[in-house]
Amino acid sequence: MIVSRTLTVNGQSYPVAVAASETLLDVLRDKIALTGTKKGCNVGDCGACLVMVDGQTMNSCLLLATEMEGKSITTIEGIAQNGVLTPLQRAFVQEGGVQCGYCTPGMVLSATALLERNSDPSKEEIKAALAGNLCRCTGYTGIIRSVERCKNYREDGTCAKRDEPAGKPASGNGRPDLGGAAGGSVGGSVGVSVPRVDAVDKVTGRAEYTADLSFQNMVYAKILGSPIAHGRIKKIDTSKARALPGVLDILTADDVPDTMYGVSPARYDEHILAKDKVRHHGDEVAAVAAIDEKTAERAVALIEVEYEELPVVLNPMEAMAEGAPQVHERYERNINTHVDHKFGDVEGGFAQSAHVREEVFTGNTIYQCPMEPHASIAMWDPDGTLVLYSSTQVPHYVQYMMAHVLHMPLGKIRVIRPTVGGGFGGKAETTPLDICAALFSRRLGRPVKMIYSREEMFLHGRGRHKQHMHFKIGVDSEGRIQSFSSKIYLDGGAYSSFGVATAYYAGSVIPTLYKIPAYKYDGYRVMTNKPASGAMRGHGVPQPRFAFECLLNMIADDLGIDPVEIRWRNSIDPNTLTVNEMEVGSCEFRATLEASAKKSNWNEKWGKLPLGKGIGIASGGFVSGAGYCIYRGQVQLSHEKPREPFVKKSIFPHANAIVKISEDGMAAILLIGAAEIGQGSDTVLTQMCAHSLGIPMDRMRIRSEDSDISPLDLGSYSSRVTLMAGHAVSRAGEAVFEKMKPYAARLLDCDEASVTAQNARVFVQGDDSRSVPWEEVARKYFNENGPLVGTGCYKPPDGLGGDYKGSTVGTSPAYSFGTAICEVSVDLETGKIKIDHFTDYHDCGTPINPLAVHGQVEGAVAMGASETIFEDVQFDEKGLLQNHNLHGYLMMSIMDAPEIFSGLVDSYEPRGPFGAKEIGEGSTLPVLGAVAHAIANATGVWIKDLPITPEKVLKALREKKSATAEKVASS
Amino acid sequence: MHVPDVELYEAHTMDEAFDLLGRHTGARILAGGTDLLVDLKAGRVSATSLISIKRVDSLKQICLQDGNLCIGSLTTITELDESSLVRERFPSLIDATSRMAAPQVRNAATVGGNVVSAVPCADLPPVLLVLNASVVAKSAEKERVIPLDSFFIQVRKTALLPGEVLTSIIVPEPPVRFGAAYARFSLREGNSIAVAGVAVGMRLGAGGEVESARVALGAVSPTPIVVEEAGRLLAGCKLDDEVSSRVSERAMERCNPICDVRGSADFRREIVGVLTKRALKTARQRAGGMES
Repeated sequence: MIVSRTLTVNGQSYPVAVAASETLLDVLRDKIALTGTKKGCNVGDCGACLVMVDGQTMNSCLLLATEMEGKSITTIEGIAQNGVLTPLQRAFVQEGGVQCGYCTPGMVLSATALLERNSDPSKEEIKAALAGNLCRCTGYTGIIRSVERCKNYREDGTCAKRDEPAGKPASGNGRPDLGGAAGGSVGGSVGVSVPRVDAVDKVTGRAEYTADLSFQNMVYAKILGSPIAHGRIKKIDTSKARALPGVLDILTADDVPDTMYGVSPARYDEHILAKDKVRHHGDEVAAVAAIDEKTAERAVALIEVEYEELPVVLNPMEAMAEGAPQVHERYERNINTHVDHKFGDVEGGFAQSAHVREEVFTGNTIYQCPMEPHASIAMWDPDGTLVLYSSTQVPHYVQYMMAHVLHMPLGKIRVIRPTVGGGFGGKAETTPLDICAALFSRRLGRPVKMIYSREEMFLHGRGRHKQHMHFKIGVDSEGRIQSFSSKIYLDGGAYSSFGVATAYYAGSVIPTLYKIPAYKYDGYRVMTNKPASGAMRGHGVPQPRFAFECLLNMIADDLGIDPVEIRWRNSIDPNTLTVNEMEVGSCEFRATLEASAKKSNWNEKWGKLPLGKGIGIASGGFVSGAGYCIYRGQVQLSHEKPREPFVKKSIFPHANAIVKISEDGMAAILLIGAAEIGQGSDTVLTQMCAHSLGIPMDRMRIRSEDSDISPLDLGSYSSRVTLMAGHAVSRAGEAVFEKMKPYAARLLDCDEASVTAQNARVFVQGDDSRSVPWEEVARKYFNENGPLVGTGCYKPPDGLGGDYKGSTVGTSPAYSFGTAICEVSVDLETGKIKIDHFTDYHDCGTPINPLAVHGQVEGAVAMGASETIFEDVQFDEKGLLQNHNLHGYLMMSIMDAPEIFSGLVDSYEPRGPFGAKEIGEGSTLPVLGAVAHAIANATGVWIKDLPITPEKVLKALREKKSATAEKVASS
Repeated sequence: MHVPDVELYEAHTMDEAFDLLGRHTGARILAGGTDLLVDLKAGRVSATSLISIKRVDSLKQICLQDGNLCIGSLTTITELDESSLVRERFPSLIDATSRMAAPQVRNAATVGGNVVSAVPCADLPPVLLVLNASVVAKSAEKERVIPLDSFFIQVRKTALLPGEVLTSIIVPEPPVRFGAAYARFSLREGNSIAVAGVAVGMRLGAGGEVESARVALGAVSPTPIVVEEAGRLLAGCKLDDEVSSRVSERAMERCNPICDVRGSADFRREIVGVLTKRALKTARQRAGGMES
């Protein structure tokens, strides 16, 4: 039933023909082309689709469009008037209320509705008003700051509390005029808290994510996932699906290239669509292209697949047992990766230890839950070039893998990464969406769009490995570590994904924090009938780090040593080669310990809090970029490359940049393929490049989204972008300025060596009265030489890592350090945990953009705390997912998020650009252990398996009580 | 995930609604849609036609009739939550409304929907049970009042007959020295679902002893349930820790929770015990009893 309706959206009338079943969300996005309203879950769990209806906030995914006639609907596009941001939108821009931006429209609308009925909300009222808007990036801290800044704003757009100027129209490139703070008007652009370059687009709904894009003649496709966790495919009957009107094409394993793919080249073990066997609930079996998504969805349900069910295996220890069901024939006893590392005299170390403690810890299955679901759109140019729009954090690896699967040169594949709504590792590999969209598009000659639903994201998986960890630490009488051994079983799920690296990471980054003279690590990554585990923020390390920090705290208790002190005594020094041969350069670990203890008043609280209140500490650190590329050899189709022996050096630069100056010298365009996924890389790279060029940021634009335009960068993983891409862009900037120097010297009548630039003035070093406009010098260059372009690239140092198997994983040019102190309240009757406060200090080297750095820490704290107490993907005994949605899988809401203090210690990393290191992933690492320790401190019981739920707290308290009673009875 | 093809009819009056119901057998009533549209998308519910009653203004009201509170079924959770009448006289309803789901869901979701959906974890039913509420069910032919006690039959199944629409909820005027409270446990604070909920309503005698009391449980059995024995245990007693413990033990025995992603049956039972004590305490305070 199609009816005509006139919808009033943002004051404008839109006559539309809608079906009775269409939601307001779909009509806004697909028929009125207002794509600022986002689809995050489609069932009212996330708030990304929030709009105002007659001034009231509602989830547009739960409203039927036909019922909306006569209502006044406001979307994010209707908030700014005539391009003038509201004070609230400006506050989101300035206070770091925006990161990936996918939750931002809903957040801004919820907060706008709040401020309209309550101009002076308390912090609690702000939280209550935003309780239905989930954010995965900011830890909500920047969002609360943004709303608080806007209390009491007046009708005319000024703020009663802080007299701010009214908003100025957003300029053409989408960047607001923010006055002095932006653009490095004083000095350079590095080390300054400038707003994100994409923030205005994100607070106005203008930012376009992959699913927001439409192309002429575009069609849609959906994938059929397996309803069982393990089985043989006996028969696939697509006839009913094919007969459905609107269905255009169907793919099964028979229709797609018979090429295995994956992430780790030694373990390509995925078929594009399941061949012969399905190995997990949701394993991709077939795909349908149709005229619209709903038809594709219905057709998928009409495909009949006959399975022979096979027994499932759901945990790694059972999977390794003799006779266990085999997930893949090629992995004996289901062991996908075995790590056997031993450094130093481990047994001797334990023998000479005054105290040895051994414990078993269990992690949980965490899913990244970026707010933006994965999406891909593929089309083919007439010359045979594949154009792939993909919601990815690794455009280059997608290009590489598409080339592998399609047997095409990389040069014939153009990957475009539109705005990405968060990744956290979940978008770090090529998906069946990328491949199926490309295949359908080639067969149909039309653009094909594919989007995962929230459920499908969980079913596709690639979340954090659940790890089963047996840890043993030996210390001398003063708590100094003598020896450490770990045995870890990683639950790999059904495919390799990143797992080989994960298994190594789980061991290799542990010794970068403390002096560990002897270290043994025995790791098994094992296949199970679950969605594949992959890489997630802190790749492989957060759970082992949690276990290590907990065990260290237990030992401190055993010996009566303060937990801060035991860390101090064991902390490594700068310029240390660890026992497993990781080269640690700058290290201000001790400063993070000292600062966080002081700031949190640790000494006044530790051991002095009442039952039910707790304080805990943990530390952590991470690599600033992986030392080696995921694949070996040069950039070339994998099957064309001769297999060469591994050499300890980068074959090609991991980050590459071009800076192109406009012909009038007034703009610099930075081209680099680094993946902005919400973390802020476009902003910090622009800052560094502007700094090295000597111009303010507002003269720069960055193009990072298109492989046709921007040179290769390996992408956003291993916390690598600031250091590696930062070097590339600053070197490209320097290269431009080098070319300008002779012309500047001529204009300034000085020698080239004494020419310098800042804030768009080129001047004689030490005498800034002798200066010329930067653009004048650039024009002079152009007049004589044509385009003024500079390039820069970065290769990690040669020779990183030892000479043992797996020595490359964990290598990095630099390592970060951090300490977190957590304070909690626990309801001892219900076991419910409230994480009250976090104090975090991080050594990230020079912070390029402190606002962005703190935003990463705040987000990491909330994410880490959430996974410590809430999150776990649950399976039934048949391996079926039980909570693959955002009401069953609990991400922290704004009501649950702690207050967070994020601080930085003075540090300088010689191997980093301007002295910078990583922040994004490392800041997750101390969090889990600190929460667990605080809970133990509050309750008197240690809970060693994650997540620490109220149910586990009550159980542990009960066990402690009965143990105490037994003791009393027996004595 | 889309709503399957349906026909949608918008009623502006109840007469229109009944007319449509008569003409479209198997049609579902659509009000706030926050449950129904999710169920339709997930395939839990199938319907070929929907009859929207959103524009039936007569169902949107909160008023006092002869001292009884009358809540029109289309009243949104937000409207109930913000009603000064409710805040003053029925704070136990606010215990529920203030914490249900999320603001944007409360703005759309209706009181009638929260009752008539008969979803086990719904927050209002246990509270309404201890307030001795009834629902008004109307059909084209007649109107009848159904005590809430006999309204819930099974998960997602109520005593409503085909052709009947829930039009309002009647909460009788509370007697003097009456207090009620709702204690709720959820794993997360924002946009949360109750893992267990306990409502208590009690009337105190002049001497501070409990004259009569009701305890109702939510989210821990297929339907909200009244713990019948609790009233007997409390009647005539001063509410002290011992009585409170006995009542909470009875509530724990009486509930019949399931194991699911939000917790095991044993855990839910334990939580019911804690919540019962807490709700008893608050209800007693609201009834004007002294802190024991």
